Amino acid sequence: MTQYSDLEFLKLSKWQKAGYKCARFFTGIPTALLNLLKRIWGGIKGAGLAVKNEAADIWSTFVNGDWKTKLSFLVMGFGNLARGQILRGLLFLLFEVVFIGYMVLAGGYWLSMLPSLGKVGPTETYDEVLDIYTTTYNDNSFKILLYGVLTMFFIIAFIYTWRQNVKQNKLAEKILASGKPLKSGKDDLKSLVDDQFHKTLLALPMTGILVFTVLPIVFMILVAFTNYDGTHNGYSNNLFTWVGLDNFNTMLNWNVKSGGGTQSYAATFGEVLTWTLIWAFFATFTNYFLGMFVAMAINKKGIKFKKVWRTVLVLTIAIPQFISLLYVSKMFAKNGILNGFLMSMGWIQQALPFWDDPTWARITVILINVWIGIPYLMLVATGILMNIPADLYESARIDGANPWQQYTKITLPYMLFVTGPYLLTSFTGNMNNFNVIYLLTGGAPTNPAASGAAGAVGYTDLLITWLFKITTGAESQYYLASVVGILVFVVVALISLIVYNLLPSIKNEEDFQ
Amino acid sequence: MSENRLLDRSSDAPVKRHMGLKASRTLANTSIYVLLVVISVVWLIPFICIVLQSFRVESTWQESYVIPKQWGLDNYRALFKTDFPRWYTNTFIAALFTAILQTIIVLCMSYTLSRFRFKMRKGLMRFMLILSMFPGMLTMIILYRVLSDLGLTQANALPGLILVYVASSGMGYYVSKGFFDTIPKSLDEAARVDGATRFQVLKKIILPLSKPIVIYTVLTAFMGPWGDFVFARYVSFGTSSGMNVAVGLYNWLNKDQIAKSYTMFCAGGVLVAIPVTVLFMCLQKYYVEGVTGGAVKG
Amino acid sequence: MKKFLSVLLAAMMVLSVCSFAGASSLAGTYDVTIWVANEIVDLTKQQVEAFNASNDAGIVINATIEPVSEADAATNMITDVAAGGDIYCFAQDQFSRLVQAGALAKLGKAAAEEVSAANDAGVVGAAKSGDELYAYPMTADNGYFMYYDKRYIPDEDVDSLEKLIADCEAAQKYFAFEMNTSAWYAASFFFGTGCVSEWKTDDAGKFISVHDTFNSPAGLIAAKGMKKLVDSPFHLNSSSQDSFASNAAIVVTGTWAYTDIEKMLGENMGVTDLPSFEVDGQQYHLGSFNGCKLMGVKPQEDAVKAAALHRLARYLTGEECQMQRFEARAWGPANLAAQQSEKVQANPGLAALYKQSPYSLPQGQIHGSWWDIAKVIADDVKAATDEAGLQQALQNYEDKMAALFTMSEEEMNAWGVIGSIGGTMWDKDFPMTEVATDVFESEALELHAGEEFKCRQGASWDVNYGSDGLNGANVKVEADGTYKVQLNVAEGTITLIAQ
Repeated sequence: MTQYSDLEFLKLSKWQKAGYKCARFFTGIPTALLNLLKRIWGGIKGAGLAVKNEAADIWSTFVNGDWKTKLSFLVMGFGNLARGQILRGLLFLLFEVVFIGYMVLAGGYWLSMLPSLGKVGPTETYDEVLDIYTTTYNDNSFKILLYGVLTMFFIIAFIYTWRQNVKQNKLAEKILASGKPLKSGKDDLKSLVDDQFHKTLLALPMTGILVFTVLPIVFMILVAFTNYDGTHNGYSNNLFTWVGLDNFNTMLNWNVKSGGGTQSYAATFGEVLTWTLIWAFFATFTNYFLGMFVAMAINKKGIKFKKVWRTVLVLTIAIPQFISLLYVSKMFAKNGILNGFLMSMGWIQQALPFWDDPTWARITVILINVWIGIPYLMLVATGILMNIPADLYESARIDGANPWQQYTKITLPYMLFVTGPYLLTSFTGNMNNFNVIYLLTGGAPTNPAASGAAGAVGYTDLLITWLFKITTGAESQYYLASVVGILVFVVVALISLIVYNLLPSIKNEEDFQ
Repeated sequence: MSENRLLDRSSDAPVKRHMGLKASRTLANTSIYVLLVVISVVWLIPFICIVLQSFRVESTWQESYVIPKQWGLDNYRALFKTDFPRWYTNTFIAALFTAILQTIIVLCMSYTLSRFRFKMRKGLMRFMLILSMFPGMLTMIILYRVLSDLGLTQANALPGLILVYVASSGMGYYVSKGFFDTIPKSLDEAARVDGATRFQVLKKIILPLSKPIVIYTVLTAFMGPWGDFVFARYVSFGTSSGMNVAVGLYNWLNKDQIAKSYTMFCAGGVLVAIPVTVLFMCLQKYYVEGVTGGAVKG
Repeated sequence: MKKFLSVLLAAMMVLSVCSFAGASSLAGTYDVTIWVANEIVDLTKQQVEAFNASNDAGIVINATIEPVSEADAATNMITDVAAGGDIYCFAQDQFSRLVQAGALAKLGKAAAEEVSAANDAGVVGAAKSGDELYAYPMTADNGYFMYYDKRYIPDEDVDSLEKLIADCEAAQKYFAFEMNTSAWYAASFFFGTGCVSEWKTDDAGKFISVHDTFNSPAGLIAAKGMKKLVDSPFHLNSSSQDSFASNAAIVVTGTWAYTDIEKMLGENMGVTDLPSFEVDGQQYHLGSFNGCKLMGVKPQEDAVKAAALHRLARYLTGEECQMQRFEARAWGPANLAAQQSEKVQANPGLAALYKQSPYSLPQGQIHGSWWDIAKVIADDVKAATDEAGLQQALQNYEDKMAALFTMSEEEMNAWGVIGSIGGTMWDKDFPMTEVATDVFESEALELHAGEEFKCRQGASWDVNYGSDGLNGANVKVEADGTYKVQLNVAEGTITLIAQ
């Protein structure tokens, strides 16, 4: 397409400008993808280089170091202890002792079992005297995978700590050579509330994230390469094992028919993904514009009881969704209050198929989502509208701009600029909006073509509710759920990256300070 | 109030007066009033219905009418004969602890990321952004197993739930970091020049200025546990004493129970909504400041 | 490390032997978690106390009784068998899932015989996988029939689906029959015209075959009948009893709803069997599933506790307790003696169920995916505009069924080793790869003396090799070790290659 210079661009008509921007957006996608790949490759190369440098540094530390340093390679913290940094030395030593102890007592076993995920499953024996079958549980695939991963984390932590230990020796030698004193344990403690305060602050949150977010995610990714499901759960019945890329083949190969469906998983995935994107788009933008509109209406000069209006709306935030949404879902049922009311007024002859017809159901969930979403947007928009400088409007009015023009020229651009990242997060948030769909429709009405695809996919199912259905469905195919989870990640990440790279607004966080 | 005066600047202050302006403004305002009334009605109907049904005495199942024929507190009384008080206490404790601990964690995280410039900072933020793109739904299975190995499921589900709610909350640093970013850095630097440690800067300067975001964080953290019916159900399955209100009430909507407990469900819903709503009403102002101070800027 | 483990293992074995030594007596106190439906929690408490007082073995059960819906039991158990209830009740459709998940303990051989003899044969069949009995029959009332509101439905119309639909439309009231979201109810039309869907499982709960005739001329008649119902604007896709409170005049549901509906409708309540529908001048009485609720015991490592639990479960599903449940909640007993009692015969809900029973089929083991596949027939039927459309709906159903048991070309030709090896019980094929023309080899497997195995193609027994060639006997492992199993198809030989 033709590229316009800034000057040429300004000369275009309004529609041409919009079209041009739009076209730029889409033609930009391949470049953005390419840039992304380049950056990933750059990252890999950088990492390789870093490893090489580290290795070289470790070697030179060893060769050039004194005997204390050399011994520290084996006994962590020895250098610190020998040089009088008792606290650090003890901590290093303690870590090494704990690590070795763990590896001998348990870690080694988990690691050795990791490649097979267990060899002997539960066995059953019959007791003649009591006329009873008993079960002996042997290897446990689930635990092996879990603790295997945990052990790997521990090993990585050990390598990192060991590296720090080596570094510290080098540093200590250098400081001592220059004739300065080393930091004492007291200094170390003091720095934890001062220079190193960020480490203190981050210690707890990061540990939590590591154990309760990173570990589960790593585990979940690994499950996608196993056959872990209801009949291979690894602890009460058959063990599960590694199956390589089979599950990805099942999910993404157009020729593999799903469990009992007439279409492939890939086709089902495509349908669900399409609806997820449509849903996320409408859910985000209907809320955005209507919420902004309501905020402007409430904040208009001369409107009284502002607090009352706002409070009424905010009730939807305060009341847990599982109560309000379940109730609303019942209201819209075929024999629900709404249909009953409309029929008794004589406005309709038959009940409206809010939940029974695919298109109706899809539109209804979007509309009800407006009911949930407007209050949040109203609050956000209220705050932002406060911040728009009033003189902008005044000068616009002096120039004779009508309210619509003021809106399109001042309010909207300002809002869009400031809330760009917010829009993106609420888009991805809506893609994973489990509550609204699960509580309102549970995915219904069912899609006949995909009925057997692990938990009966429906027309209003999002990827996230499908994933939930897979895990709780008739066959509990955790491995397939993992694959879907990974694909959700890929989709969300791609969208985020593309939008981030194309949106000019607020890339630089320092701008605001 | 001051907030409203600020808001008024955005609307059309009288600059150019001409014929019929007043009339057209009255018309505009009237239509806005009509609209706001309609919106309010639509927004309130479900809540009014729930409240009305909770006072219905004549039947315990869903009915096609809304206004009870016979009013009374039977449903509320019946609630206290079930495990509901236990669920309520569980949830309240969970909400309380989550509110406190999560606030501490989120503030630590966001303050650090806003104020300190250290080597891994950007990488850390990017890493957490990537983590947050994984659907959390999936990690439930493994979180359950981790908790069960720690003995924190079923009857002991409460500490387990608090642990999980709090542990990953560092990832939600985004909004409060945005808020901290708006506090001028020159304040910290001036104090540092005067010899204050980083810790003193946080305690003496930043925290007093951060009331809205602290309250915002407490409020959102407090509200979370009241509505969790997916993970809490997973962790406390098959053990009534370990459930929270959401799980307990949700079970009452099972096919085999709904006819007996539907109005009780409504009554329970009203009781759940009360603390959250009251708190929300009182602290709404801070919530707005928190959201707009933080969410808006990234 | 290995040494440490083996010491530990030895210690455990000594311990278990010790505990076995004292096993002749079951006397003792046991902490037991029991899951039952909410409405029988209190009753079950009393029954456990009665068991404590009456049993002669000195067993004292310290029970924690939790309300868990019978419909959710499988989902809950599969979440974590270890943390699940020791004894739990479940609806029979979850049976095979539970067996496969290792959440049900087999009944002892003698116990199985006695329980089978005392209970309804259909229910016993539902508690069996292969030849093994895995659960105790608790009720035999899990079927459905019709409740109606006499104010809108004249008694003389209840035999005809067409008249019922017309009555509902005239009164602007709903006909609640869960067609679109539950295959359990939707199958009614097909059973009415003589269609069947029969499944077979092996001893471990795995499905091995199906005989299904939904896609047939009889099925087409059923689809035509179903279309009459789902096309009506006053058809309501629900089986919830409270539909009566929101504009329904007919609800098809089961005995569990009886007391609720009685409260809702009072003297206006009518209960009877399902109606007939007419296609091409011929009447077909709607069929139904005849299902049951079962009580299961979780597998235990400790034989003594297992024995105590099985004693308790047997007591709780005995004639006395089944009768108590009938008296308190009108649950129809599975016990043959209890079924014969006058009171049971006189109950109106059960009377309707028994009236329906000539048209109902015992619900055997059914593949979990069938429920998902069959429940969309009604959607397809509703969308169909002509007979070809209905035919297509059935064809879609058959295609999906076929997909359940079919494999890709590659899978069909793949060879595997299967047996009592590596902790599996003839339920897993260890894959083999082609190393030379007609020579296939497995990965290195850890085999133990006494284990047996065979090689087969496409995970089916159609083509399999044993120690003496095609269809030969099982190969026996002679000494512990790590081996690769090599199969030479041309020569029909299996060799173990030690690693």
